[in-house]
Amino acid sequence: MALFSRTKESIDVPIGLGKMLEATAAAYKKREALRFDGKVFSYQELNEQANRVAGGLQSLGVAKGDRVAMMLPNIPEFVYSLFGIQKLGAIAVPFNTMYKGREITHILQDSGAKAIICLSNFANLINEVRYDCPDLEHVIVTGQRTFVYVDPDATVNVQMVSEKSTFESADAAFHAVGGALVQVFKAFGVHDAWYKHQGAIRSSGHKLAIILMSEIENLYVVNVVTYLQQMDTGPLFKVLYVPPEIRDKALEPMTSIAKETGATVSLDQFKDKLVEVLGKNLGVQFSEGELTRDELMAYEKNRALANRI
Amino acid sequence: MGDAWRLIYNPEGDAADVVSYAASVAEGRIAGKYQLSNTSVPNTVIVQRAQQPGIVIGADITPDREAARAQGIQVAQAPRLGRNSAKAIGTLSLSNLMAKASRSFTAIETEPDETAVLIYTSGTTGNPKGAMITHRNFDFQCNTIVKSLVPYGPNDRFVCVLPMYHIYGLANALMPAITFGNCGVLVSQYSPQKLLDAIAENNATIMPAVPTMYFHLLTLARARKTSIPKSLRFCVSGGAALPLSVLQRFAKVYDTKIIEGYGLTETTSSVCANGLRGVFKDGSIGPVAEGVEMKVIDPDGNDLPDGDEGELVVKSQTVFAGYWQDPQASAEAISADGWFHTGDLGYRDEDGFFFITDRKKDIIITRGFNISPREVEEVFMQHAKVEEAALVAVKNERDGEAITAFIVGSSDGTPTIDELREHAKLNLAEYKWPKEYRFVDTLPKSATGKVLRAELRGDAEDRRLIQKEN
Repeated sequence: MALFSRTKESIDVPIGLGKMLEATAAAYKKREALRFDGKVFSYQELNEQANRVAGGLQSLGVAKGDRVAMMLPNIPEFVYSLFGIQKLGAIAVPFNTMYKGREITHILQDSGAKAIICLSNFANLINEVRYDCPDLEHVIVTGQRTFVYVDPDATVNVQMVSEKSTFESADAAFHAVGGALVQVFKAFGVHDAWYKHQGAIRSSGHKLAIILMSEIENLYVVNVVTYLQQMDTGPLFKVLYVPPEIRDKALEPMTSIAKETGATVSLDQFKDKLVEVLGKNLGVQFSEGELTRDELMAYEKNRALANRI
Repeated sequence: MGDAWRLIYNPEGDAADVVSYAASVAEGRIAGKYQLSNTSVPNTVIVQRAQQPGIVIGADITPDREAARAQGIQVAQAPRLGRNSAKAIGTLSLSNLMAKASRSFTAIETEPDETAVLIYTSGTTGNPKGAMITHRNFDFQCNTIVKSLVPYGPNDRFVCVLPMYHIYGLANALMPAITFGNCGVLVSQYSPQKLLDAIAENNATIMPAVPTMYFHLLTLARARKTSIPKSLRFCVSGGAALPLSVLQRFAKVYDTKIIEGYGLTETTSSVCANGLRGVFKDGSIGPVAEGVEMKVIDPDGNDLPDGDEGELVVKSQTVFAGYWQDPQASAEAISADGWFHTGDLGYRDEDGFFFITDRKKDIIITRGFNISPREVEEVFMQHAKVEEAALVAVKNERDGEAITAFIVGSSDGTPTIDELREHAKLNLAEYKWPKEYRFVDTLPKSATGKVLRAELRGDAEDRRLIQKEN
């Protein structure tokens, strides 16, 4: 750490968080400002990152006095965002990352936040309440901290890769998959399966399937995890630490076809029904196939990457 | 009829397949678009199942690999997303937004009394309210109050383990670090071991934390006597009361000094500290910090002499600007001459030490978070089987106050404890969930129909009456 000058005493700073960081960055330059996960960030770096957030938000139309919500844990992006918002003279509205839909909706509505900066994990949660928060124009995501559990007995993963031109809009692609899944759940006896906007399919308030919609170039990629049976999340907590006071509470409650109906649906049955419903809804013919040669090459590379840890 | 789509069925896959299949199909399609490949591939649906339990994690998560091996769990890490990778629809990526913006930006001028941050905090009624914290509030908290409490120097490193969305972590860890030109050591995911590692790896010197964390660190120290970091020079406990004996034990085991602060969101965190200038009194919140006035008043607003119990009121440049778009609540909280009503009842002794005896407002405080009983009660009353609900706090050494819910069943029957817990899980953040539930036929009420919480609290503190459950 010899790189960092650590001798200067502290200086008098102006009142105003944006100007304050400007002053400390000018005075301390390469002195260390943040440490996170083995990395060190200098005052100059912190200041530049905050400037980038300020400029980025400004390009979205965020101006002095506007509220910008933040749903972030203690990561460097929290600090960049907070000071970026301050440099714009806007008002930061950081809130508890444990909040659920109802609590988030209240804060976004009451503050009239124009934008929210959140961990990518929370994008679904925000998307679900987005239409209840008319002032919210932008959902800005950061960090790659999502985790999905897969289990031989409990989960099925459904993925759709389609040409964007197949659907009128991203919403239409979402409804194609979401609507088909709801029909499949109903066919297996989960009569109250429903979804609201983008996010999850629920039954008796609990998640039955999680849907993540993404886009890349000319494609929509839809990722679904759904539950045929209940899952033991115990081992999960051994691999990803969860503080004792919120153990067995960290995951939003989920349900499964088995829990809602008492019936066991096999993977084959589920797959057949899904293909039947999707084929009918989309007016397409499914035929079972394998990865092509080009795809197989990409697959080997992607597997190696996925197993890198 | 219709287009031909491909189905890929992989019933014997694994966690890595969940990441790899869709990515590979997408890559193939994109390559096709640029005519790097001449095979045309139809739209594809992949249905797969893992043969072995597994976790698919984002690139920023660090799993415990040994535990994964021991548990027989396969861990697959999703690729780090770049500017050209898939992005969630309807969202913007912060890193893209930042990459496109200039690294230079001149901060827009602000007035000291303009709002910098809104922190939502629960009051007595209903939903949380946005406390307007101004630039001056933060400046005074750091440059006057923290300066008088914490003997920091140019080489100090502040541990930022308290959530920074909370006033305590924001105003007493991050802001002082940046204001003083110190370093903030960020801990994103609290676990006792992670905190201990962060202290040791970074030689962190100053730590604001909550009692639960001090309890955990002491437990860890007992378990492994050899590896206790000795870099901490100064610690602050806050958010809930920490027994003096625990405080002293911690100071000894970690070879550090520790004081106990008192403050609220509305005072931009600390205004008092027990242990200031090295003097402690058991059960006290201490004397006021530099630049803060605090006094005790009776219900008519008259000053009370030392030893008499009344409401604690605070005057300081850290007193917030009011609640966002709620002038009525703001006027109730801050008197015309600038005194903030804390809602805490207590007294001052002849040495200027303050003591809290009770709370005037119906707020429950657990692990430093305010909970509005009203908000939680309203959530329970939405349950079909709940006619009425009342929430009271029961004192608890570790968390401050633990919540007990008194439930009156409806004509549809009485809910089970499991049903109530599920209902709480669905609608409330974890720290608002009651620890205990008691079923009663009626709630004690005043002549005006107000629930008499003090009476319920008396019942709940009588441990024999509590229906315990695990």
